[in-house]
Amino acid sequence: MSAAVLVRSLADQRRSLTGWGIGLVVVVAVMSALWPSVRDMMTPELLASYPEAMRELFDVEAMDTGAGYLNGELFSIILPGLFIAFAVGRGARTLAGEERDGTLEMVVVTPVSRSAVVVAKTVAIVLGTVVLGIVLAVSILVCSALFDLGIAPGDALVGSLAMTVLGVAFGVGAVTVGAVVPSRPAAVAIPAAVAVAAYVLHVLGALVPTVEPWRRLSPFTMAIVNGPVGGSVPAGVGVLAIAAVVLGGVAVLSFTRRDITSP
Amino acid sequence: MDAVVTTRHLTKRFGPTVAVDNLDLEVAAGGVFGLLGPNGAGKTTFLRLCVGLLRPTDGHVEVLGVDATARPDDVQSRTGYLPGTFTAYGNLTARAYLAYLASLRGGVDPDVVAGIAERLELDLDRRIDTLSHGNRQKVGITQAFMNSPELLVLDEPTSGLDPLMQREFLAMVREAAAAGRSVVLSSHILTEVEAVADTVAILRHGRLVTLDTVDNLKARAVRRIDVMFSGPPPLDTLAGIEGVREVHGGPTSAHLVVEGHLAPLIRALAPLDVADLVTHEVDLGEIFLAAYDDASSPAGVED
Repeated sequence: MSAAVLVRSLADQRRSLTGWGIGLVVVVAVMSALWPSVRDMMTPELLASYPEAMRELFDVEAMDTGAGYLNGELFSIILPGLFIAFAVGRGARTLAGEERDGTLEMVVVTPVSRSAVVVAKTVAIVLGTVVLGIVLAVSILVCSALFDLGIAPGDALVGSLAMTVLGVAFGVGAVTVGAVVPSRPAAVAIPAAVAVAAYVLHVLGALVPTVEPWRRLSPFTMAIVNGPVGGSVPAGVGVLAIAAVVLGGVAVLSFTRRDITSP
Repeated sequence: MDAVVTTRHLTKRFGPTVAVDNLDLEVAAGGVFGLLGPNGAGKTTFLRLCVGLLRPTDGHVEVLGVDATARPDDVQSRTGYLPGTFTAYGNLTARAYLAYLASLRGGVDPDVVAGIAERLELDLDRRIDTLSHGNRQKVGITQAFMNSPELLVLDEPTSGLDPLMQREFLAMVREAAAAGRSVVLSSHILTEVEAVADTVAILRHGRLVTLDTVDNLKARAVRRIDVMFSGPPPLDTLAGIEGVREVHGGPTSAHLVVEGHLAPLIRALAPLDVADLVTHEVDLGEIFLAAYDDASSPAGVED
């Protein structure tokens, strides 16, 4: 790995990371601020009035705890979406985007090897997503204290870890697509399509009994099957981490064996 | 001395397009090697193959004695490269960008960078996205020269430079050659190549059309000359002059296509009643006419 390329790629993320971090804090704060009034509203009669499908999908019964509320409101789609969008956007930009711009060839044409370039850029995406995960954990703990959600530090960490690893898997996927084909649209579209398919599988698996056995193949399910807040680290998080490593390997192998295109 | 670039059966295809076609070429070490050809002739592809950005479809390319495909990093550590469309990170200053590339090259003396920038009148403290095209090109030239590489690979290096800067750049190329370094540069402007190159290769459709010294090439060059007379042009006389290949007449003018040296034409024109004489820049397409002498493939204008 090239330390210089890593530092440069991290510096490139600074502004974007700041924006996404602020957005994340706002989302967590707004949702947490609503908790006290939601809690007072959550009577057994109201819960029973929800359609069966919604109760299944958002685990409505658990909504009477702070952890259950966050799982249903934030960790079911908003946070996974934010983490995937950030990581895929950055992952597509760092390799495919720079190749289209023409800035990548100037880096590749130095004595730094192509594999060192890809690894550094991938690590930068991982670290950027980890920073976002830390922001999430801290904002959940602070908001929990402010709005009495009762989230234990360990639970906030498990939830943030699940989001981080989910984002990393898709972000590395975007780098990998860019390493295989020099197309930024493809590096965004392919991981995005996989994410949508994963979400659909996650939802259908909860509602349709015949789909249920396939549900555990969905990266969404892997990341949030146990909550994720309030549960143990699911095995699926390990699977996602391994998938990210494998994708990174594919990225290195592809990128060192193909032409670098000029703009 | 050894060759700095040696290709054997070098072929590069992009889908159905053959960009470089079975090229066998040797570039001698030291001196300046000019690569001429119209757009789409394969110049850029050839240069990108040399610096390890592209992988040959077939054949080999050896640069500085190293296989550029198998060990690109070894070639890249000894080569300075300026791409045809140089793009730097716009959000950095020229200084920060050059420092970044220098760190990837294992360090470069900042004084050398400052020296080149001063020569090219490049303000290193401006953000690159605020620079004009010509000034960005200077950043590209600086990064190619800054670590004094054994071989400079420059793709259309003067594009965007004003004439003064072009001259300064060509002086830098001559100095690099005088210091024993090798330069391979591409251009579609003959005068530019003529000014610095010792040897010139002409590519067309990915094939080597001509490989010759500049002097020999000039002798074979074809140029267009318009001669204005006070009265009707003596077309028959003109057609009989040595070197004149074509004559087209107007009411009081003649348009000539002349190959090689102009001395016989000038001598023949001297006693005639010439009112004005315009000679056009030697155009690459017309070089091709001479190089090919092939009526079925008119001037090398293609894109």
